[in-house]
Amino acid sequence: MNRAVGVAKMQLISKWTFLGIPALIIGVSFAFSLLIWAMIPDSVGTKYSGAGQAVMWYFFGLGIQSLTYTFPFSQGLSISRRNFFFGTVGLFAVIAASISVLYVLLGFVEAATNGWGLQGQMFSLGWVSEQPWGGQLFFYFVVMMFLFLAGFWGATVYKRWQTTGLLVMFISLGILLVGSVALITWQGWWAAVGSWIVALTPVTLGLLALGLAALLGVGAYLTLRRATP
Amino acid sequence: MSTTVVSMENVSKAYKDVMALDGVSLRLEQDKIYGLLGRNGAGKTTLMSVLTAQGFASSGEFSVFGEQPHENEKVLSRICFIRESQKYPDDFKPFHAFKAAAIFYKDWDNALALQLAKDFQLPMKRRIKKLSRGQLSAVGVIIGLASRAELTFFDEPYLGLDAVARQLFYDSLLADYSEFPRTIVLSSHLIDEVANLLEHVIVIDKGKIIVDDDAENLRGSAFSVAGPAARVESFAAARAVLHREGIGALLSLTVEGVLSQAERREAAELGLEVGPVSLQQLVIKKTLDAGIAGVPDGAREETAKAARKSSRMGASQ
Repeated sequence: MNRAVGVAKMQLISKWTFLGIPALIIGVSFAFSLLIWAMIPDSVGTKYSGAGQAVMWYFFGLGIQSLTYTFPFSQGLSISRRNFFFGTVGLFAVIAASISVLYVLLGFVEAATNGWGLQGQMFSLGWVSEQPWGGQLFFYFVVMMFLFLAGFWGATVYKRWQTTGLLVMFISLGILLVGSVALITWQGWWAAVGSWIVALTPVTLGLLALGLAALLGVGAYLTLRRATP
Repeated sequence: MSTTVVSMENVSKAYKDVMALDGVSLRLEQDKIYGLLGRNGAGKTTLMSVLTAQGFASSGEFSVFGEQPHENEKVLSRICFIRESQKYPDDFKPFHAFKAAAIFYKDWDNALALQLAKDFQLPMKRRIKKLSRGQLSAVGVIIGLASRAELTFFDEPYLGLDAVARQLFYDSLLADYSEFPRTIVLSSHLIDEVANLLEHVIVIDKGKIIVDDDAENLRGSAFSVAGPAARVESFAAARAVLHREGIGALLSLTVEGVLSQAERREAAELGLEVGPVSLQQLVIKKTLDAGIAGVPDGAREETAKAARKSSRMGASQ
């Protein structure tokens, strides 16, 4: 497993991709939110900002990038696909965990300072921050892992089967979604589905995302096993 | 008895409509420099990809260091194969790539990498994707040399390198090899240029191995004879002519076979000049023969004619 750690180190050789850009995105999106909050009169009450998710979408792209560029290079250095997978996903898990901790901490500060003195809400989003800190951590972490693995697996499918693979993947996903909608309509389950969605908490949604992320991870690993650079 | 590093038994690789490898059987021995020669698209890169588990064979058995290499870290950690079209992480600069290689190769020689980068005048702090073709090749060459992997593949490493840089590569390869012997496979279609480096020559064409022999044997398997056309013709009359080149009344033939002492004397008395033959000519001839052998009878004559024509044109340049 030594070489998996090596892969994580290799991904960090250029600090910018995994550390610099995420830090910049969080910092800048927070700064913009502060500026906008300052411009809005306080009379509107709590001011929400969705900028906290900006960095999470970057991770979707990072999942794609770490496969399309770094995987072929790792093959040139004769690193097994297994070690590439565990090194890359492991490094990402550490980063996702750190950002989750940061978000929860910033959420506490936000709540304690009346939204940075501006009644803003970016980190301590109502629906999530009602949870104890453990639940919040879990939710942020799982969402980030899910997005990263979605990008990673998509890129792996492309690497292995090119456009055909992606088409098959998206068409199957479409059939699955439309099929479920049809099934729900046909069975008259919409009311039940509606109350289920309303009842979702960050923890139950997180568990769902965790299941999907695990599925994506296993899928990505099995696809990567026989992918060629 | 030398140690076998690679053995392949009837390995094939089929893409949709082509056989990139077609029943390849090979043995590579430890601490030798191999030339993997062949035309573009002959199967050189596919062969190296299969051996390094970067690609997959459709059928056949093979082993590297006695084991199959796929997902086998014990084997993989002893191999380096930077392909001609190698991709690097998007934001990598040459010094990043060398740092990465240093993590994975226990015998990585950083001083050598730095020295080579200086010799090749490689801009260490420019993004790899902005490098010229030659500089990109230099990055691959440096990783291949400085990694000192027990089994190192160079995939057309000279692409885009100027004559000085190519010579630099050949010299560094020989110098480092003599100090740290290892098994090296050099894929190339510039045969004469690498001929002097090679101990063993493997020629692949349309996925099939058509030559697998010691470079010395190969060179000794033919000779060239030059002089006045009529005398050369009569001297070589009973022999297989591989290649002919004529200028006016003078003729130079590449002839298959070995000359006895008596024959050499005879040639000297006739005023003919006898010399060694270039590896390139031999390989071209064998490749063309193999190509013709695979063509139906009617087309064979045409192909042979075209081949003669093109080799004559080549000679007149």
